[in-house]
Amino acid sequence: MLTERTFKRDWCGMLKENISLSQLLTLLINFLLGSAIVVGVGGDAKKDAWIAIAAAIMIGFGIMLFYYFLISRVPGQNFFEIMEFGFKRPIAIIFSITYVVYFLYLACRVVRDFGELIASAILPSTPIEIISLTICLLMAYILYLGLEVLGRTSEIFTPYLFGFLFLLTILLFASGNANLYEIKPVLGDGLKPVLNALFPTLIVFPFGELIAFTLILPVVTNFKYCLRVSMLGVGIAGSLLLFAMFLMIVTLGADALQRSNFPMLSSAREVSIGNFIERIDALVVFIMMLGILVKGSVFMFAGLKGLEYTFRLPYRYFSLPVAMIVSSFSILISVNFGDHWQEGLEIVPYFLHLPLQFGLPSLLLITVLWKRRKKKAKPGVKGMKF
Amino acid sequence: MSILKSLLKMRKKEYPVQPQEAAETGPDLKSMSLEQLKKRINAEFGSTVDLSMDELKTEGKDALLIYLKTMIDTKLLKETILQSLSVKEDGIELTTEDDLKSLCKEKFGGAGYQLVESFDDIITALLYGNIIIIFKDMEKALSLSMDSGEDRSITEPSTQTVIRGPKDGFVESISTNVRLLRKRIKNKHLRFEKFIIGSETNTSVYIGYMKGISNEKIVQEVRKRLGQIKVNAIFESGNIEELIADKSATPFPLALNTERPDSVASNLLEGKIAILVDGTPFVLVVPAVLVDFFSIAEDYYQNFMMGSFLRMIRYLSFMIALITPSLYVGILTFHHELLPTPLLLGIIAQREGVPFPAVIEVLLMEVTFEILREAGVRMPRAVGQTVSIVGALVIGQAAAEAGIISNIMVIIVAITAIANFVSPTYSFAAAARLLRFLLIIVSAFLGLYGVLIVLVFIVAHLSSLRSFGVPYLSPVAPFIIEQQKDVFFRFPIWSMRKRPAYLKSQNPEKFPKTGSPSPPPMEGEQSN
Repeated sequence: MLTERTFKRDWCGMLKENISLSQLLTLLINFLLGSAIVVGVGGDAKKDAWIAIAAAIMIGFGIMLFYYFLISRVPGQNFFEIMEFGFKRPIAIIFSITYVVYFLYLACRVVRDFGELIASAILPSTPIEIISLTICLLMAYILYLGLEVLGRTSEIFTPYLFGFLFLLTILLFASGNANLYEIKPVLGDGLKPVLNALFPTLIVFPFGELIAFTLILPVVTNFKYCLRVSMLGVGIAGSLLLFAMFLMIVTLGADALQRSNFPMLSSAREVSIGNFIERIDALVVFIMMLGILVKGSVFMFAGLKGLEYTFRLPYRYFSLPVAMIVSSFSILISVNFGDHWQEGLEIVPYFLHLPLQFGLPSLLLITVLWKRRKKKAKPGVKGMKF
Repeated sequence: MSILKSLLKMRKKEYPVQPQEAAETGPDLKSMSLEQLKKRINAEFGSTVDLSMDELKTEGKDALLIYLKTMIDTKLLKETILQSLSVKEDGIELTTEDDLKSLCKEKFGGAGYQLVESFDDIITALLYGNIIIIFKDMEKALSLSMDSGEDRSITEPSTQTVIRGPKDGFVESISTNVRLLRKRIKNKHLRFEKFIIGSETNTSVYIGYMKGISNEKIVQEVRKRLGQIKVNAIFESGNIEELIADKSATPFPLALNTERPDSVASNLLEGKIAILVDGTPFVLVVPAVLVDFFSIAEDYYQNFMMGSFLRMIRYLSFMIALITPSLYVGILTFHHELLPTPLLLGIIAQREGVPFPAVIEVLLMEVTFEILREAGVRMPRAVGQTVSIVGALVIGQAAAEAGIISNIMVIIVAITAIANFVSPTYSFAAAARLLRFLLIIVSAFLGLYGVLIVLVFIVAHLSSLRSFGVPYLSPVAPFIIEQQKDVFFRFPIWSMRKRPAYLKSQNPEKFPKTGSPSPPPMEGEQSN
């Protein structure tokens, strides 16, 4: 099945794969839009959600820089291998398993978001289990084919993402649903709601989740330009998110926005032009599905990479079983959508996101820097260039 | 005859160890008398009716003339060979091998003769339409090509027809096909290599490429894969295509096939490799990428705007052929709200009498259409009228009037079918035909969501495909900005200066930068 002759093999006989810079860019854009565009972010700030997002983009640049800095300390190694470098293998394995569970949990959350969206808005009489099963099977197939295929798939669909978002904007304004006055008053409640929305939810979701890219950055072909492209990706995705949020605010208004589970879908339903273009839900679902697919697959890929590191087996072997686990746990993690939301807003950011996105990586960075320094002090050993 | 030479070498290379045959070739020609030789060849061919063995005497020496009557041009044989052999030359005595050589030089010099010595070579030469002359007590026999060359004359290709462009197509004879290519590319760097494939059919297969343009690695890969084929029979390039594909579990063709010499020639100049198979007018071009199946030669012969427009129409109709029926099923089963109310009411009113759910209706009609289409291709020409009448009237109109299917269904099937015929390559359209059924069934269960899932599945599958190591979706994914000039649009020819980067051609630039043509300066105007 696998076209082995085209890949080089690495130390343990696994197939080495590479993705190009443009693929990295589209992966980043889709990843960041992913579930954020489905459920909407920064809702706490109400009308000023867009300000909160704008601030979050700035912090997002910092987060990306942090992960890049960590990765570039040990060139060519992914996050788990750097942990081995910092902590030795037994401890690294314990941490990797923690991360595997974390990444797969996040994949479950993403799939659940999508399942709820489809089950409540598009296919009301289809059980949510079927939705998550089908999307997980698709992810399993893509990941079985490899990261390259994920990169190419997202590369192909991304132009459509832009096209549909553009079309949606035109249609919303053309049908007279978008009302720019909705944005006023700017900062009517002061800065406090904005800050509340920013810390920690908006920082850990979606920008802090970029930690999954510590597994992808090392396999990019042209590592030299990696930082620039990642920054560009965060910038583009952040602006799109900002723009989408802005669009939702001016279409729905702050109150409807807060009440709506899927604000993007709700705003698309407002479109009505000349009794012909009435419901363009399908377009919106397409935008969302692509993001979900990439985000879920990237998380799953990160989890699979952890398993590959732990068991020293090619990650493709795990893709179907892990996808099935994700599929079933996406249903089991919470009893209903409200529960799912509460979990995501009140528990996960503090107990999972903060320690695993910033705590542990910071610790790792300090250890790696210390070790490097020790090595540098010895004569004859070349230090790594930044 | 140099072809024969390489052929003979090839055969030796291909069957290095074959003990029983080696034992048979044991006795050389010299040790056997003509009578024995005759017996032996008769035994090999089992006295097949078209085997002819005549004894003759030339230069005072007994000789044996052997050929397959059906394979050679007997008129040519009588006119040239026998006449020149009957003229007695003085001072030549056939005793040593050198004598034989000089005799041949004198009589058949320039005719491309060949001296063969092993029994196997003689038999192969006979099978390829050569005549063999064995002289008594000589180690080597003379072999001369007398191929009758009777083939279908060059006609317009029956597939991939164009309005503007050359009207000649490949034929079944491989040498004619090579000639058609040579006539288009008068360049010494155009190379052909011969392979003999099929242990029982011994079919000639040529690969053609431009030395210095095509990527040597890909050429080597083609040679390797052709060399690895171990089947008994090759009848069509489709056999080869299946045996050398990177992946066989896919509905998409991984090699481009065409009947048009001009499109093969232009592909050769891009750095691709042609595979010609004796006995079929369809020539393979590898590596093939998806966009190749949407571009045709005519795109480059007409205005670039029209070319681009038609190309986009082709992409659009591929999508129509692929998803229209499943969209119908999905919308009617799950998403009524997507249709404007008047249209929905119209469809519902039409479907009032239809006893089936939408998916059954669609499957029924699609299968019926596929049957009709197959019948249309296979039926004897004389009954063609009947099938079209039955198809159009009985199945289309009568079924709708009888209330088995709705009228809109007839429209859906028709637009799907017509869109499917737009595809310039038949084998690629077949992929859409197959995947359509998968889409219909999934959309019956999951609606438009299911259609999206399957579409992403197809794209993921496509991006995993490779044709001779080249990603199938290049230059779109992996994205190459320079090659976008020839994907969805066809840019003016003067701007397309680069060969496809995914082929990693040795000579990536086609021609120096010239810029667009512009009118000469007006009279009296200063030209700067």
